[in-house]
Formats: sequence, structure tokens, C-alpha cells
Amino acid sequence: MAEVSLSKVTKEFGAVSVIKGIDLQIADGEFCVFVGPSGCGKSTLLRMVAGLEEISSGALRIGGRDMTQVGPSDRGVAMVFQSYALYPHMTVAENIGFGLRMTGHDKAEIAKRTSAAAKMLQLDHLLDRKPGQLSGGQRQRVAIGRAIVRNPDVFLFDEPLSNLDAALRVQMRGEISRLHQDLGATMIYVTHDQVEAMTMADKIVVLSAGHIEQVGSPLELYHRPRNLFVAGFIGSPKMNFLTVEARPAPGGAEVTLPGGAVVTLAGQIAVAGQMTLGLRPEHASATGVGDAVLEGTVKLAEHLGSETLFFVALSDGSEIAVKADGLASERPGDRMRVGVPARACHLFDAAGQALINGDLTR
Amino acid sequence: MFPTPIQKASPAARIGYQVLLPVALMIWLIPLIGVAVTSLRPASDLAAGNYFGIPSGLAFENYAAVFRDSPIGWYILNSFKVTVPTVIGAVALSCLTGFALAVYGFRANLWVFFAFVAGNFIPFQILMVPVRDMTLRAGMYDTTLGLVLFHIAFQTGFCTLFMRNFIKGLPFALIESARVEGVSEWRIFRHIVLPLMRPAIAALSVLVFTFVWNDYFWATVLVQGQHAMPVTAGLYSLNGQWVAAWHLVSAGSIVAALPPVLMFFLMQRHFIAGLTLGATKG
Amino acid sequence: MSDTARSAGFWKRNQLKIAPWAFLAPGAIMFLLYVLIPIVQSVWISFHDWDGLGDKVWIGLGNYVELLDDDTFYVALKNNLIWLALYLLAIPMGLATALFLNQTVWGIRLYKSLFFFPFVISQVVVGLMFTWFYAPDFGLFSQLIKWLTGTEIAVLADERFVTLGIIVAGLWPQTAYCMILYLTGLNNLNPEQIEAARMDNARGWRLLWHVILPQLAPATFIAMVVTVIGALRSFDLVSIMTAGGPYGSSQVLSYFMYEQALSEYGYRMGYGAAIAVVLFLIMMVFITLFIVRMIAQERNR
Repeated sequence: MAEVSLSKVTKEFGAVSVIKGIDLQIADGEFCVFVGPSGCGKSTLLRMVAGLEEISSGALRIGGRDMTQVGPSDRGVAMVFQSYALYPHMTVAENIGFGLRMTGHDKAEIAKRTSAAAKMLQLDHLLDRKPGQLSGGQRQRVAIGRAIVRNPDVFLFDEPLSNLDAALRVQMRGEISRLHQDLGATMIYVTHDQVEAMTMADKIVVLSAGHIEQVGSPLELYHRPRNLFVAGFIGSPKMNFLTVEARPAPGGAEVTLPGGAVVTLAGQIAVAGQMTLGLRPEHASATGVGDAVLEGTVKLAEHLGSETLFFVALSDGSEIAVKADGLASERPGDRMRVGVPARACHLFDAAGQALINGDLTR
Repeated sequence: MFPTPIQKASPAARIGYQVLLPVALMIWLIPLIGVAVTSLRPASDLAAGNYFGIPSGLAFENYAAVFRDSPIGWYILNSFKVTVPTVIGAVALSCLTGFALAVYGFRANLWVFFAFVAGNFIPFQILMVPVRDMTLRAGMYDTTLGLVLFHIAFQTGFCTLFMRNFIKGLPFALIESARVEGVSEWRIFRHIVLPLMRPAIAALSVLVFTFVWNDYFWATVLVQGQHAMPVTAGLYSLNGQWVAAWHLVSAGSIVAALPPVLMFFLMQRHFIAGLTLGATKG
Repeated sequence: MSDTARSAGFWKRNQLKIAPWAFLAPGAIMFLLYVLIPIVQSVWISFHDWDGLGDKVWIGLGNYVELLDDDTFYVALKNNLIWLALYLLAIPMGLATALFLNQTVWGIRLYKSLFFFPFVISQVVVGLMFTWFYAPDFGLFSQLIKWLTGTEIAVLADERFVTLGIIVAGLWPQTAYCMILYLTGLNNLNPEQIEAARMDNARGWRLLWHVILPQLAPATFIAMVVTVIGALRSFDLVSIMTAGGPYGSSQVLSYFMYEQALSEYGYRMGYGAAIAVVLFLIMMVFITLFIVRMIAQERNR
């Protein structure tokens, strides 16, 4: 059993507070992704779990044991670094077996575990090469192999795919997911790429400026973002935000859109005022189908083949992105009627907290 | 590339450049060429006033005479006895100090580092009296060991600057990765960092060899007698004996200059890498 | 048994705190013993009258007061300034040589090595070479001067020219050093920036001044450091070529100190130490400037 739990964990570098009190439970065998923009503290948090950064205050428990003061080598964790950190003067086999050799395992055991890991990662034929002779994907696998041989309770990945090209990234994403299924170990994975987070995670932790914005499964974060930050961060292309007037009304919240159209959202709000309406581009309709219509002019059309992305300027000067069919034929300068389905809309108060999350499953 | 490659210039300019190169080199090296020619000039030429003309013969016996009639062979041996242990000692110590200053973020780190750097720039004269006194009292005055210990200590300053910057240039994740794997700090140094420092060790070895071989000041301050005198100081004292025997002075000079010159030509790449440390960005 | 177990645990827990000091200790102790402590001792000795053997007699600022009345001290100080000013010529000369040699023609590597050659040779040998070069009657240089002007000049015996003559000898290896720094710098220029500048119609001097030199700034900084330090350290050449003469006219502080402390004129350790302290203070001005800049760079990393 290796669940990881953090309680009130903080980190200060001198006077600068980088991690501002994190409470988090990661279950045994879970694939947990820390995601956030650069500088949000996600890598620092991972390194604190690894023991590479001291924990300023709070407690870290792994598998029920308090690890706050324990050195990195005794935490039962293995880490895959962004740069892979392969030892350039050692062969693949030596790289994989190095940690075992240094901690006094006997030769036969090292050889057995190395070859098992190599087989799992299809590195068998590369064992005698030096890292300099390997491709990016192969180096990545060696780095993972080095983690596997140690049989850790928890795997830590620090942006492991960011040095790979796009195609390889997709492939390695699959391989790491498969590895997680095979090993069943707890894994913590740091990335700034929300696509990686969505595709791989059991649980996503969205971080910003040293604190947790929201924790949940990928679909929970997509459908029920708790605030503007998460709503804007998860999903691609980004969710549209429109400044609107909203007031409580019988049967829901009455929202006046730019241009004057009114849409009523199911759900309760307490007071009236200026608020933010969130609508994902894929839920807006380029053909005007919906509970209300926004009138605007197409500024830019991106034809991606399978779909077309329109950027439409509205009467009040704001802009909205609309995802449409790949065959949609509107061109810049054309008028467009954008349909707004009420059940896909999110409403956020002036402080950015979600008041109403649209629910497409309803 | 700057200046514009000569290949793009007119054919005349190209030929002009090719002609100018050897001419410029000759002018640049005139003192050296003069001494080299004189070292092979028979003594009779000098006596006859033939200082610049074609030598009447190649007098390799000048070199034989230098070795036969003077203790220069012994001086050269002394130079090796000073230089080689210094290279080993200074490089070994600076591998350790450089590692400490590059890898650990302890509070006094930068202060210690800049103490090493600043010490490296100070005038020797401020050290002369106390170091000579200390060497005397330790019974190491007039021995190669006395010179070796001082040179090791002093060169450690420069070497630490070099090693620390070199190790800083290595990916820190290598060290962290080993720490997560439970490798002790000494073994990280021994098995991960040290093997990667080979180019730095080579560069420093040739540099320190040259610096120490060419040292003259300390050779005169810490040594008096022939038995421990390195070749720089030895050459100077021979110069006093060979008044006007310029063919011998020249031959002796060439002999004394030869080991670092050989070192330079054999290890040129490392030598220049060491000397130009920091001359480029990152 | 339990003790060793506990100490192993202690080591494991505190490894990261102890390790840096353990790695640092051997080198730092040597450096402390032979470099840092002697600086303090020299300052202490400079307040004493001492022949190196007997007891030290405290005379306070006596040595410094005497120094202020010593004509040779002013000659040495003046010569040090001349050294400093003229030695800096090595930087533009080194840059010019580097620009001249920064081509890719057949054999250029060998040319670069041979141009660098003077730096590898001991200053003792350089001094002897230039002594021969300047020697009256048969020195190449004096012959050249005689042929050009009809009069003969014994450079090293002439109070007007002796310091200049020694500095020229020093410039020879120093220019080579600066050249190699600039060659390395030129080698690492950003080619796209140069191409962009050429597209913007910058060429020749303006390209050098506005685009190349700023990129060579790290090389220039190091060249400055080594040249200033080299100029103030100038001992070997003075000792070999003139021993400060004629009549002390080529004296510099470094040699003056040595002569006072350890020569046939008697062992005046205290007085020598005082001269060394003055030289040290002059150098500290430059060292501090360098270190301040290095700290700034270190912060920017």
C-alpha cells in the first residue's frame, strides 16, 4: 500500500512563499497529474514529495509512514526527470543498474532486474549503447527503466515528455499509461500540458500560484470547473468568457448577453450583478441553434479539416471562438449567428467562483 | 563569421593574405627565431662577429655543452619534481572543492568561492615573507617539497574556480537522480561527477603544468642551492656564469622552454579550453 | 555495535550538511594556510622592524613613513602606472591579431598556435630573448635602430627607455594571451546576429563596434582581468632583464619589495612587507571590481 498524503504542506525560499499549504490525498495505485501554468509550483511540489526539496512546514506521508524528514533514498520513490538525467559515461545497462549497484545489491540480482525492465520497455537490444547513441524516445525509456528496477512504491515524473516531438509524445503517453496498468503502482506526474493531464490521469490536481485550484477526475474538471482559472485552463481551445448581466429569476438565473439577447440558466443565484458567462467553443453553435443567439462578424477562420474554428467579433467588441463542422464555409467578414445552449453555460461571480455549472448530461 | 571570410574577397586579396600570414608570423616570432638560430651557431661565429649571417655550421654541440658543462639536466629534473606532484595535488584538491562549491547550496558557499577567486589574483609579494618563514621553520626551505606544497595551495585557487564552473555546467538532475536512488554523496562524486570531469582535469593539468614549470619568483624565494633549484631559476644563475656566451644561453633557454611547449602542442585543445574559460557566454 | 548503528544513522541524516565541508576541507585548509593567513601575517609584519631571524620590533607605521620618503618607492609606483597603462595595449593588439587570424585557410590552425607560442614560454626565457634582442652591438633591435637612425641605443642601459623595453617584452606573451581569448570569443559568435546585421547594412568597423564587440564582452572582461593582474605582478622580466636598474630606474613595486626583503642589501622583512601591503591594496581595488562584477553575473544565472 502506498497512498500519498500531504497535509498543510508549505515551501518557502527565503521570504518567498512558493507552496502555500497543500492538502491532498492520492490513493494507492492512482495516476495523479499535477498540472498548471509554469511557475505554479507543481515541480517544486513533486520535488518535495521526492525529498529533493525540504518541506518548510506540514507533513508528508507515504504508505502511512511519516516521510517529512526522511531522505530521498528512503522514501520508496523513483523519479523520472525532464532531462532524463542519464549518466552519459555509462551504458544503458549500467544506467539502469547503477542505483542497485550503489546500494549493494548483488550482481545476479542486478542483471535479472535490469533485463526484466529492459524487456518491459523494449530496450533489450540497446543495453550496451551509451545514452549519446539513443533517440529521444529511447532515452526516455531508459530513464523509466531506471525507475522500474528499484521497485518503488511511488513513481514520480517531472514533465517527462516535454523534450520529445509531438508524434513521439503521443506514443510515450500511451506507453506510460500502459506501464501504469501493468505495474499498478502509484504515480505522480507533473505537466503543463492539459492534454497530457486529461488523457492520462485518474486524478488531476490543478495548481496555480502555489495552491490547489481544484482536484478531480478529468471529466469532472471539464464539466464542473470550480472557478474561472480551472475553466480556462482545462479544455482546448479555451473556454469563451463573456461579461454579462445576471439576475435571479423564477426558474433560474436570467442572463443578458452582449447584444441584448437573454438566456435563462437552470440554477440559483442570490444577487444580481455583472458576472462572467463561460461557454466552450465546441458547445457554441455556428448555425444559430440554441436558447439564445449572439450576432457577430467572422474575424478569422481556421480550417483544420475535421473542424473549423471561427473567431467572431460581437457587437460589444468582445470576441468568441466557435467550433464548427470542417465543411463550414463562412469567411472573414461574413455575419454569423452564434447559438448559445443554456445547459452548456457556466456562470461565474465577480470573484471568479462558479455559481452555475452547465450540465450536458442532463 | 567575422571578419568576412577571405574566400569571398577578390583573388588578389586572397593571395595577399596568404603571403602576409607567414611574413607576419616571422616578424612576430623574431626574438624566438633569433634565439633558436643563435643556439645552433658555432661559438666561432660569435667570436668573429657573425651574429646575423648564415651560421657557418649547425652547432648541435652547443646543446651537448649545455648539458655537459652545466647542471641544467639536474635543474630540469628538479622542475619535474616540483611540477608533477603539484599538478596531481592541485587537480585532486580542486576536484573536491569544486564539487563542494558547485553542488551544495550552503550559506557560506559564495563567500568561500570568492575567497578562492580573489586569492588567485593577489600579488605574490604579500605572501612572500610569511610563506618563506613558514617553509624555513618547517625545515622545507631549499627543498622541492616546500615549493610543491606552496604551489598546490596557490594553484588550488585557480583550479577551484575552474572546476566549480565546470561542474555547475553539468546537468544537476544527474546528481538529484542519484540521490533519489540512494547513492551516497561520496559515491555520487566518485562514480558520476568524476568520470564526467575528465576534460576539465586534462585542461587544468596542462595549465598548471605550464604555470608551475614557468614559475620563477617562488623558485628564487624558497630555494637557494643547486640541489633543489628548478630550471627557471637555474637558467638565470647560468646566465650570470655564461657572460656573453649567447650560444649557450640560447641553447639553455630553448631547453628550459621545451617541456611546456611540447605539452602545449600535444594537448593544445585542452590547453586553450582551460585558458579561455569564461571567454564566451555559457 | 549500537553506537556504530547510531552513527551510521546520523551520517545518513546529516550527510547533506556535512558533505560540503568534508569535500572542502583539504583544499580550503591548504589555501588558508598558504594564502589567506599569510596575507594577515604580512600586514602584521609590516608594522615591525624585522630581519627575518631575530625578534620583531614593533615600530607602528614606521615602515610606511619611511616609504613616503623613499625616492625609489615613487619611481616604482610611477613605473607600475606606466606598466598598467601600456600593458592594456595587449587587449586591442590581441583583438587585432585575432581578427587577422580568424579565417579558414590552409594551415591556419598552425598559424594560430605559433602566434600563441610566446605565452607558453617562461617569462625567464622571454626576458633572456629580449635581452639578447636589445643587446648593444649585436642585438637585432639595436642593429635595426642603428640602421634606421644611425645612432645606437642600449635600451636596457638607458634610463629613458628601459621600462618601455621591458614592457614590450611583457606585451609579447600578453598579446598572445588576449589573442587566444578573442579567437575563442570570435569562434562562438552568434552567426545569425551577424547575418542580420549585414542585412541591416552594417559592415566593417561599424559591424565590429556595434555587433561584434558587444558579443565579445566576456572575452574582453577576462582579458582586462588577466592583463591588469599581469601588469601589477610584473616581477620576472624586471628581475631577469635589469634587476631594477640602471640606478633603480626600471624598479616596480613587486621587485622593489623582493629586493628590500631578500637581497644583498640586507633582509628588511618589515619594510618589504610594507611595500607588499601597498601593492596588495592597489591590486585589491581591481580585484574588488572584478569580484563585484562576477557576483552580479552569478546572481543573473
